[in-house]
Amino acid sequence: MSSVSGRAGTTTPQGGGQRALPGPHGQLTLTALEQSRRLAGPVAGAAALAVLVTILTGGGFASTLVLDMLVYAIAAMALDFLGGYAGLISLGNAGFLGVGAYGYAIAEVHSFSPWAAVGVALGVTLGLGLGLGIVAVRVKGITFVIITLAIAEVIWGLAYQWVGLSEGDNGIPVSVLPSIGPFSLSNGLTLRMTVLAVFVVIALLLVTFVRSPFGLSLRGVRSNEARLAALGYRTGLHRYVAWVIMVFFTGVAGILYVFVNQLISPTTIDFSANGLITIMVIFGGLGSIWGPALGAVAMVLFQQELSIYLSRWQTLLGFTLIAVVLFGPQGIWGLVRAAGRRWDALIGRLQGELAGAAGQESPGTGAGPAGGSGDRQPRRRGGWLRGVPGLAGKAPPAGSPPGAGPARHGAGETRKP
Amino acid sequence: MSQFIAQTLNGLTLAGIIFLVSSGFTLVFGVMRVTNLSHGAVYLLGGYVGYSVIGASHNFFYGLAAAAVSMAFFGLVIERGLLPHLRHSEMAELLATLGLIYVIDDVSLAIWGGNPLSITLPGILGKSSTLPVDHIVYPNGRFFILGVAVVIALVLFYLLHRTRIGAIIRAGVDDRDMVNALGINVRLVFTIVFALGALLAGFAGVLGGTVLGLYTGGDSDILLFALAVVIVGGLGSYGGAVLGSLIIGLVDNYGTAYFPAVAYSILFIPVIIILLVRPQGLLGKVTT
Repeated sequence: MSSVSGRAGTTTPQGGGQRALPGPHGQLTLTALEQSRRLAGPVAGAAALAVLVTILTGGGFASTLVLDMLVYAIAAMALDFLGGYAGLISLGNAGFLGVGAYGYAIAEVHSFSPWAAVGVALGVTLGLGLGLGIVAVRVKGITFVIITLAIAEVIWGLAYQWVGLSEGDNGIPVSVLPSIGPFSLSNGLTLRMTVLAVFVVIALLLVTFVRSPFGLSLRGVRSNEARLAALGYRTGLHRYVAWVIMVFFTGVAGILYVFVNQLISPTTIDFSANGLITIMVIFGGLGSIWGPALGAVAMVLFQQELSIYLSRWQTLLGFTLIAVVLFGPQGIWGLVRAAGRRWDALIGRLQGELAGAAGQESPGTGAGPAGGSGDRQPRRRGGWLRGVPGLAGKAPPAGSPPGAGPARHGAGETRKP
Repeated sequence: MSQFIAQTLNGLTLAGIIFLVSSGFTLVFGVMRVTNLSHGAVYLLGGYVGYSVIGASHNFFYGLAAAAVSMAFFGLVIERGLLPHLRHSEMAELLATLGLIYVIDDVSLAIWGGNPLSITLPGILGKSSTLPVDHIVYPNGRFFILGVAVVIALVLFYLLHRTRIGAIIRAGVDDRDMVNALGINVRLVFTIVFALGALLAGFAGVLGGTVLGLYTGGDSDILLFALAVVIVGGLGSYGGAVLGSLIIGLVDNYGTAYFPAVAYSILFIPVIIILLVRPQGLLGKVTT
């Protein structure tokens, strides 16, 4: 006779006047569940970091692969910051990556010192972000996708055709990398650890941005711009700042790319490369920051490993994207979220039971999330289609989480069929 | 001067090919609100199919017809088989057609290989003639392409503005729900428009194959032309497609002739200007 299992169906009817028997056990289980729920993220992160450090210190082919993943993960996370939170999905991030990479390579060709070349690359990327943002964030939805693609194609066109500057199809090899004192990026281990450090810093920065008041109002702008504007938020400025952050971080990924590969050529930033970064984000899960990093891992594996065994891997890539869009628009991170929701539901149910047991108000009916303290309602984040103008589907998303209660749509969100 | 005239004619030819691709793209968007990114891939696939049929039958016009019909059928399959499952979500449709690009390109690469292919025009179309102005020698095939594009533009104009189906399509662009409420089978209209767009793209693929050649990556080039056209002309506007094609075709050709290092980028100068001054495009309507 115990409700430790936490199943709603096994709630024990309480005898009158008796102290709640499952109390201590239940409380213990609840605490354990809550603690593990709270720690799951940090522990998984620490484990991932440990694995990364192990592989990167080991060197060899695996570490090269991981470096590629980290570089693309930065670009994908930056894209997700704008796409998932501001609702502006870019199809041109390989282009911005190319700006950082070419910025460094061209500065180096013109005999800048390595650190000055890094400065040039960052400056050019930032300037480009600030300048193009004026045009790009004027539009939303489909037009934004088209414009980012157009920008990326201009960058590709310059890299391909302006041979005097970019050395055209051959690309620019880079041999001299920056160094501080005894630490030189020409050293493999130093380079690998630097890339990892930059990845971690940018990931944490993006997560901080997303959770900050700025990130919240950015989501508000996505869900209901008119309301945010009426509340006095400068919605255009929000999108602009998010855009600049996205372009800048992608440029940083580009500088790392050229450090890692020691070559930048137009094939790195062509149409299918642009598509690939967007696919990483969609595959990983839009609006989750960590999901697109996983998407980058998956896509680099796809590209580097699968292509060895399967010559038609691009066909598979295309079908994979279609399948994700059709069947799992939340991407890989959707699975993680589903697990989190189940956990939350379990905790909520247990809380309800304990509350029922302690309160003696309504024996036997205290179970279920509705009886919980309320603040443990399973929270459902917005689907990836929400908020982007004209993007929301007519039908409610399939497979709504059980026990989610009334779906919390963005208040006042208007949908046009 | 003769150089300039020849470049202008080249630009007009290119504008003709771009028009055939972008008119389908813009109609599909206008009526269905579907951004079909695979439109360029359909163009290239049509060109490849035409190349093979011409190789087998030794008749250019069979190739042209085969490309048009097979791509119309292909469009039918996409429209009926894929798009209905995406719940009319614009971004999902865009991403699914992005996935299609990878599939079509890769399959094309497997069948036709990575070497650039070129389609030759038959008989007198393959010859050149001397123009009365400045004694410019200019290939007949390009006049043929230009003429075909103009004829198709006129036919499409007639279709859109003088027939019942055209009236329905135009009404669909303006207010899809109202058309549906009037008891018209909007679903069928969608299918017709989508198949028509694919037909035009496949047709353009064969014509483009004679001038631009067929090569891996040719699909994204033509797609970018189409995207530039719809931004300049206005997404969903037929007149905008005509005007935009002329602007983009001429700008691209002058750019390639006179500023080869930045030709591809010059193409987007009108795009940026339009976005700053008139984001809805020259002939586009302000969406509410």
